[in-house]
Amino acid sequence: MSEKKRTAKNPAKAAVSKADKKSSFGPTPDPWEACARLEYGADRSFAWSVREQVIKAPPEERARAEENLLKTLGRPGCTEAGRAFLCQMLALVGSAKSVPVLAPLLRDPKSTEAARYALAPIPGAEAAAALRDALGSLSGVAKAGLIGTIALRGDTTARAVLAGIKENPSEGPVVQEAAKRALEHLATAKA
Amino acid sequence: MNPIHTLSRRQFIKQSGLVTAVAAGPLILPSGLRGQNAPSKKITVGIVGCGNISDSHFGPLLGSPESIRILAVCDVDQERRDDSAAMVNQAYGNQDCKAYADFQELNRRSDIDAVFVLTPDHWHALVAIDAMRNGKDVYVEKPLTLTIEEGRALVTAARKYNRVAQHGTQHRSMKRFHDVAEFIRNDGLGKLDRIDVYIPPNNRHCGASWKPEPVPAGLDWDRWLGPSPWRPFNSLGYHYNFRFIMDNANGQVTNWGAHYLDIGQWAMNADNGGPVEIEGHGEFPSTGLFSNSTNVDFTVRYANGIPMHCRTRYEGGGTVRFVGERGWLDISRGKMSGSNNDLLREMQASGKKIQLELSTNHHDNFFDCMRTRKRPIADVEIGHRTATVCNLGQIVMTLGRKLRWDPVKEEFIGDDMANRLRRRPMRSPWALI
Repeated sequence: MSEKKRTAKNPAKAAVSKADKKSSFGPTPDPWEACARLEYGADRSFAWSVREQVIKAPPEERARAEENLLKTLGRPGCTEAGRAFLCQMLALVGSAKSVPVLAPLLRDPKSTEAARYALAPIPGAEAAAALRDALGSLSGVAKAGLIGTIALRGDTTARAVLAGIKENPSEGPVVQEAAKRALEHLATAKA
Repeated sequence: MNPIHTLSRRQFIKQSGLVTAVAAGPLILPSGLRGQNAPSKKITVGIVGCGNISDSHFGPLLGSPESIRILAVCDVDQERRDDSAAMVNQAYGNQDCKAYADFQELNRRSDIDAVFVLTPDHWHALVAIDAMRNGKDVYVEKPLTLTIEEGRALVTAARKYNRVAQHGTQHRSMKRFHDVAEFIRNDGLGKLDRIDVYIPPNNRHCGASWKPEPVPAGLDWDRWLGPSPWRPFNSLGYHYNFRFIMDNANGQVTNWGAHYLDIGQWAMNADNGGPVEIEGHGEFPSTGLFSNSTNVDFTVRYANGIPMHCRTRYEGGGTVRFVGERGWLDISRGKMSGSNNDLLREMQASGKKIQLELSTNHHDNFFDCMRTRKRPIADVEIGHRTATVCNLGQIVMTLGRKLRWDPVKEEFIGDDMANRLRRRPMRSPWALI
C-alpha cells in the first residue's frame, strides 16, 4: 500500500507523519507508554510527567489516573523498573478497582514486591483479601514481607492462618518469625 | 553533615601517638567529651553504621573514660566495618571489638547496653526498634526516621520496652540553641512574628541517566538497600549521596531540617505537637539518579498562627532566625547575631521565668539518662515530632498543594493521598512490626 493510501485511511497518522517530516526530532512518545518501557538508570523524564499527572490530579480525576496506570501496567513487556514505578503511583491513587490487576502480580514472585507496594495502602476488604490469599502462593522472604503488610493493616481476620504459619516448621525461620511478630502486633490492633 | 567532633578513623589509625594517648587515658580530648559525672557503671556500646557520620561518634566515644566501651561495630561494607573495628581495638589496645555484617546479630548480644544507629535513613527505624526489642538503649542519628509512620512506631517501641532513646540532634545540647529557645519561650522578642530556617542546598550534580555498575567486593548491596525499593548498584548512589535519593532519604529537608526546624519546635513549645497547616513547593529533578528537591521552600504554621519558613540557602549554611516585635536573633553553629546586642545579652542571661533543661553534651546526656532512666534531652518523641515537621515539608512539596495537619491524630485532614505518604511499604522481608 502506498504512503498516500495509508494516510488517507488514517488521518491522525497522516498529521503526525507530516509534522515529523518537518521536524528534525522524532515524535513525542506517549508518556504512559514510555513508563512501561522504563529501565533502571535511563532517562525518567516521561515517568516524571506521569507522576506529576497522578499527583496533581484533583480527586474527581484520580479514577482516570488509576485506569491509565492499570492499563499501562497491563501492557505486554512492561519492564521491572516500569512496573515498580507504576505500582508506586498506584500506591497513591489505587482503589478496589486495582485489586483484580494487582492480585495475580502479588502471587508471582517476580512482581510481588511491586504489587504489594501498590496494594498495601489500598483500603477495603478487596485488597485485604488479595493479600491474605497470596499467603498460599509465596514463600521465604516474600512471604515474610507479605505477613508484615497484613499485620500493619491490622487485619485481625488473618490471625488463624498466621498462627498456623507460626507453628509450621516447613515455613522456615524468617516466615515463622514474621508470623510471630504479626500476631504480637495484631494482639494490640483494633479488632 | 558537618559533625561537631570530627575525627576520621583513617586519621585516627594513622596518628599512632594519639591512639596511645587515648588508650592510656582521657587526656587528649576536651573535658566536655569525657563525661560530666565520672560514673562508675560501665556502659558497653555497639555501633551500627560505620559511614560518614560515624566519625563524629567514634572520636568522642573513644575519648570517653573507661566506663564507656565500644564492643561491636556493624556495617554492610566489609572495609568500613573492618577499619572501624581495627580503629577501636587499636585505641583500646585489645581485640575486644568485633565486626558484624548483620545488625541483628549485634543486637542479640546480651553484653551490649547501647546501640548507636548511624545507618542511612531508610534503616533507622528497623535497626533501632530491633535494638530496643533486644533490651538496648538507642542513640539514633538524625533524621530520626524516613517516614512519619516509622517515627510513631519508634516512639511506641521505646515506651513498650522502656528504653532510653536519644535523637542525634546535638543542637539540643548546645547552649546557644538552648538559650534562644528559652528566650523565645519567655517572650524575649515580644510577640513572635515568624521563624525563618535556612538549610544548605540539596543534591550534588548528577547526569540525566546512570548505568548499573558491578557491586564492589565486600559490599552487601541487597542488605544496604534493606527495606527500600530495589535498584541496581551505582557508585553515585550509596555512601553519603544516598540522602539525595527519595527512596532512601528526604534530602536536606530532613538532614539539616532535623537540626534547625528542631530548634523552632523547641522554641514553639511543640515538642509533643506540631504545626496545623503546611504549604510550599519544591523543585525536583525530573530525571537522573538523584530525586530529592534541589530547591526547598515551605512554610508550616502553628495553631497560634506563627509560621516557620524553611528555605534553601545557597551560601551561608544552615541557621534559624526568630523575628519578633523587639527585633531578630539569628543562631547557627558557627555564630549568633541579633538586631541589637541587648537582645543577645538578654538571651544569654540566666534567671528566666520559664527554664528549659540544659544539656551541654549530647553523648553525656544519653549515658547519664541510661543510668538514671530519665528521658534524654532529645527524647524519641521530640525527635519524632521534629522529623514529622521535616516530612510535612517533603510531602507538601511533593504534592504542591496546601495541607492541613492534625498533630494529635497525626494525620492530614481531608487529603487521602497525603495520608498515604505518611508511610512507605518496605521491601521483603522487612516490616515495621
